[in-house]
Amino acid sequence: MWKRMLSLTRKEFSQILRDKALLFILAWAFTGAIYTAGHGMSMEVERFPTVIYDIDKGPLSRELVSRFRMPYFKVLAYLHREEEITQWLDSGKASMAVVIPPDFQRKVSGNTEAKIQVITDGTISMSATIAIAYVAQIASSYSIEVLEKQGMVTRSTFENLPLIDERLRVEFNPNILSSWFTSLLELLNMFTMVSLLLTAAAMVREKEYGTLEQLLASPLRPGEIFMAKIIPTIIIVLSLSFLSIFLVLKPAFGVPIRGSLFLFYSIAAIYVFTMSSLGIAIAVVARNLAQAMMIMLLILAPMLFLSGAWTPPEAMAPWMQWASHISPMRYFIDFGYSVLFKGNGIAYVWQDIVGIMLMGILLFGFSRWWFGRTISK
Amino acid sequence: MHSRIYAIIRKETRELIRDPVYLGLALIVPLLLKLLFGYGLIMDVKNIPVLFYDQDHSPLSREYIHSFTNSEYFRNTGMAKNYREIDYAIRSGKVRVVVVIPPDFSRRLHEGKLAQIQFLVDGSFPMRAEVVKGYVAAINAQFNQIMVTNYLTSRGQTAATVFPISVEGRAWYNPSLESKNFIIPGLLVTTLMFYPALLAALVVVREKESGTIFNIYCSPVKPWEVVAGKAIPYIGVAFIDYVFIFLMSVMLFKVKFIGSFLLLTMGALLYIACTIGIGLLISIISRTQIAAMLITFLGTMVPAFLYSGFMSPITSQDVTGQIVSRFIPATYFMGMVRGIYLKGLGFDYYLWDLITLTIYASIVYGIAIFSFRKRTG
Repeated sequence: MWKRMLSLTRKEFSQILRDKALLFILAWAFTGAIYTAGHGMSMEVERFPTVIYDIDKGPLSRELVSRFRMPYFKVLAYLHREEEITQWLDSGKASMAVVIPPDFQRKVSGNTEAKIQVITDGTISMSATIAIAYVAQIASSYSIEVLEKQGMVTRSTFENLPLIDERLRVEFNPNILSSWFTSLLELLNMFTMVSLLLTAAAMVREKEYGTLEQLLASPLRPGEIFMAKIIPTIIIVLSLSFLSIFLVLKPAFGVPIRGSLFLFYSIAAIYVFTMSSLGIAIAVVARNLAQAMMIMLLILAPMLFLSGAWTPPEAMAPWMQWASHISPMRYFIDFGYSVLFKGNGIAYVWQDIVGIMLMGILLFGFSRWWFGRTISK
Repeated sequence: MHSRIYAIIRKETRELIRDPVYLGLALIVPLLLKLLFGYGLIMDVKNIPVLFYDQDHSPLSREYIHSFTNSEYFRNTGMAKNYREIDYAIRSGKVRVVVVIPPDFSRRLHEGKLAQIQFLVDGSFPMRAEVVKGYVAAINAQFNQIMVTNYLTSRGQTAATVFPISVEGRAWYNPSLESKNFIIPGLLVTTLMFYPALLAALVVVREKESGTIFNIYCSPVKPWEVVAGKAIPYIGVAFIDYVFIFLMSVMLFKVKFIGSFLLLTMGALLYIACTIGIGLLISIISRTQIAAMLITFLGTMVPAFLYSGFMSPITSQDVTGQIVSRFIPATYFMGMVRGIYLKGLGFDYYLWDLITLTIYASIVYGIAIFSFRKRTG
């Protein structure tokens, strides 16, 4: 039995290794794609295109205007008429306009409240919200400076008041670098995507070529055919992911790998088996690769949302939380961050491991049952 | 000549219709994706599980804890008794924030002194960590204000100092900064980037694998006729998808739409032509279906979400990101879609985008036709 399976595995291997374009794209998936993802996803707002309409033009307002600096704001123009704001924002060339009222100088020095107006482009609501928060910070720190200059407050004022001194520490990622998160997430996503696509395509191909009949006529049993498709995927994905960790995650982004790589790779192997089994299950149902691709898209998208990486588990509706338990990806994302990033041991992740294994057995079993019911008859 | 193109179109259309499972999936999948993305992408950070370690046990510390538990953003998961519990809770991801109140908390505040509070925030998901930081700061600021006012009034002083500068934020086009007005039109662009490309990715390479491509090689049909004949039926399918997605966005998600549908459709047609063209190009240069599928998945999906300006504006990207964004059609369509949906601007604002998309399409089809060589072996 082992010998039969081994020879089919060898055939699968050479089929993959002979496809140079495929090898290249696989290597890219685990290096370049992870690098670009780690770079591309920044939630910080930088170089926000800004125009300024300073009606007051006094020394205080000019000082305030000078605070709108790179890297957060890129001041594109100083306007002279109100209509210009509409032009800049309509055309999308600027995303924010700061209007300083004519009585700014008088009010600030007269110790009453002066209002500056910030108009943002609401079509990019997320960045607009962040940009307004930045402006509020600029305004309050400038306010304190003005008060200090006027002698209203001094540094010691704050020491003799009952205030809370906030000592905040961010665990695991002290500087809140989004590249640590996205690059690791992309690696875990690649495990998911490549295992699923590669195995499903290898299986569907036999159907399209009509070579499945040959395999059925051979003494190979369905389970052995499946395993021969799954084993090359496991080996390829695991070895390529070494590249990601040691060529991209560590050197390019400095992601700390705190946990045991041995634990990670043993469970990752099982996860690749589970996702490959899902690929096999799709392949035995679909008639050609185009169909299989659509079904995979349909399964991958909800899995991404239920994985807990984008929508945190605590924000999900109860039915979503429930549904997430049948997604192997949810367990793997949790497992991956827990082990690689937080450095947790098996005591923290045994539930994830059980989940991954159970889903793998279920999917593999389903494929065999469906295969036996439909194709091998 | 016309009859040759017509013949290819007819053949491709018939192939589509004769695989009703695929055609059905091709029409339904983007709708389901849109539903999932529209409802599944919950960006609001609410119900953050928080753990308290109250070493003070005073009425004041309980009051402070209440300021967290009363807010909808935090969900109390209980009281820790020692640091070991805290460590376990944050490592396992069961809580996202830990608040440690020191034993001298109320004593120091009653004496009018600074009191330290320690916060531990789970940094595995940077986006959420940033938001949590903001919430914590807001709660502390509020608590501080109450403390200071009480303290000063009890000593017969008034809390006089107001900040001289305040910021009034206004968002045009989307005054309440509703995230659906931002996400749903953006999704139209990203979905129509990767989905048509996937539809077309197998069209040519499939024939290479099955060998039917030799029928084309041997016929008098010219490369451009093959490319056009294969593109047109799929542009048709993707166009129907576009209409469905648009209707969903306005009728189901009730996104504000004040622009011209005709203009949007013009842009969409050009854009779909571009993305179908990308899929065809990949299909022409690949030798196996499996490679074509992987290249399309990686080459369109990731850039569509990361580099099109969907989440964060392109101006915030670093140089690499800005260069990548210039190479994908989504960048040119994104501003147009958001503008037409929410700003309601007319043709002359988007003339340049339309021209760019036209140039883009001609380049893609040019390369595709050039790469499609009749060859044997």
